[in-house]
Amino acid sequence: MFWPIVACVLLPWLLVYLGLHVVQRGIIFIDIAMAQMASLGICLAVLLHLDLESWTTFGIALAFTLVGAAIFSVTGKRASQIPQEAVIGISYVVAAAAAVLLLSRAAEGDEEIKNMLIGNILLVTPREVWERFALFVAVGIFHFVFRKNFLLVSYDREGAYQKGLRVRWWDFVFYAVFGLVVTSFVRIAGVLLVFSYLIVPAVCGISLAQRIGNRLLIGWIIALVGGVAGLFLSYWWDLPSGAAIVCTFGALLLVVAALALIRGRLRTTN
Amino acid sequence: MNTNLISRTKTLLLHSIAALLLLLPLAAQAKLKVVATLPDFGSLAKEIGEDKIDIVVLAKATEDPHFVDARPSFVVSLRNADMLIDGGAELEIGWLPPLLQNARNPKIEIGKPGRVQAAQGIRLMNVPTNVTRAAGDVHALGNPHFAVDPIIAKAIAQHIAQSFAALDPPNAALYDGNYKKFEATINAKLQGWGAMMQSFQGQHVAAYHDSWPYFAHRFGINIDVFLEPKPGIPPSPSHLTDVIGQMKSHQIKAIIVEPYHDRRIAEKVARSTGAKVVDFSQFPGGIPVTDSYVKLIDTLVSRLADALK
Repeated sequence: MFWPIVACVLLPWLLVYLGLHVVQRGIIFIDIAMAQMASLGICLAVLLHLDLESWTTFGIALAFTLVGAAIFSVTGKRASQIPQEAVIGISYVVAAAAAVLLLSRAAEGDEEIKNMLIGNILLVTPREVWERFALFVAVGIFHFVFRKNFLLVSYDREGAYQKGLRVRWWDFVFYAVFGLVVTSFVRIAGVLLVFSYLIVPAVCGISLAQRIGNRLLIGWIIALVGGVAGLFLSYWWDLPSGAAIVCTFGALLLVVAALALIRGRLRTTN
Repeated sequence: MNTNLISRTKTLLLHSIAALLLLLPLAAQAKLKVVATLPDFGSLAKEIGEDKIDIVVLAKATEDPHFVDARPSFVVSLRNADMLIDGGAELEIGWLPPLLQNARNPKIEIGKPGRVQAAQGIRLMNVPTNVTRAAGDVHALGNPHFAVDPIIAKAIAQHIAQSFAALDPPNAALYDGNYKKFEATINAKLQGWGAMMQSFQGQHVAAYHDSWPYFAHRFGINIDVFLEPKPGIPPSPSHLTDVIGQMKSHQIKAIIVEPYHDRRIAEKVARSTGAKVVDFSQFPGGIPVTDSYVKLIDTLVSRLADALK
């Protein structure tokens, strides 16, 4: 259980931060769509009989992620009748269905592909954790350097346009980096866990605090507590680890919602 | 009153010490901790080891052996194991290697006396001549579903008995005796099973997945039409049309499915061919009343004979 705990301590902080952006933008399912785009790239590599662990395969997956980023940044118009979530949903189903078609031609047994795409947090290796930690630190620094632009684009799009910021370009950069992070995390933790880490801590932070710093802090605490507690529960009761963490997050969210409700009541009575 | 209490405490203490001393030799003779990846190996190990071993079986009998959901206890069991029995023919390749990597138990590394690879010394069928992934989910070492052949099962049981004896010499005679018992049972049963299958020699049978070449070979039937176009690839409409054609031309009467296969597809094919769907399992416990290896083969043979009548 040592390396799963290390993974749950060292990695989720970036997901929580990105989750704040994602929830603010109202594009909740972007992570699943991005992960699916990357999977489609890996399915193509399978069709071409490439070694799944090779850099070429990684390059193809990355290229598909960039295509996804391009789609989502182009469709995120200033004033659009079509909600971004619709485009995301469509991208997801088409990418998922295309993967099914590719695999039916590829005639590759699916056990290795499934393992490739969807990891199990219980089985992470030290190397996988450190590689992702290095990537996340790099992305974290990148986001920190350009934090003003990224935050403006997510939180105040009109303001960003008025300031003359190239909003669509920043969207593209955001999605591209986001896709990289999500895809690398899905491979060690699975889709359910990535989704929970992105959304639940961010929602907890938003319901308890106003300032982004406080939201981030609350989100980090929730992510840390939920991840480690979920792992321990899965150990004690011998449950699948990913699912145990996700359900722990669900329970934590209920507690936070109750707290927010009580606090709201207190405020109105005051 | 007070002295009474003291003397009572004293006797209690003395009794507990005596009990502890009695228990010590038992504790020293700890049971062999054995982990089996799949229920068939687990069942053979129980047959040989009886109560001298503590056995943990990782996969459930109703679970697809290609995909097994890892739980934390798997890593713990592997870490504490004195022995691991696995197939050694890549059937568990999707899930066992990462578990072993996490368990880091030198006692059960390949080549150590604590590692029994069931396929060792067994001639595997359908070894691909050139391994390209284009042929589907083909196992490079050959078809890994070998334990359903009772004669191969005898060999695995012997391998297990010898390995138990090497790790636990005081009980060697018991392990050997249990192996001899198992061998005798199988030898006796083989005649009855052969007789039941006698009238179906050379008949063709369909199966969802290519798990049965060893079983077919042993009992003289041909299980050579598969609902999966390639191993691990879900059936496509055009392939099923081919299958239905082949089944009609070979007059196939039975379609073998396992618990984790999509039975509805088999039922659909059965409706258009008049064949029967027969529920099979490679593992003791995968279908009802098959809690031992012998009972499993009993059930498989009689079910198939019923369907082919």
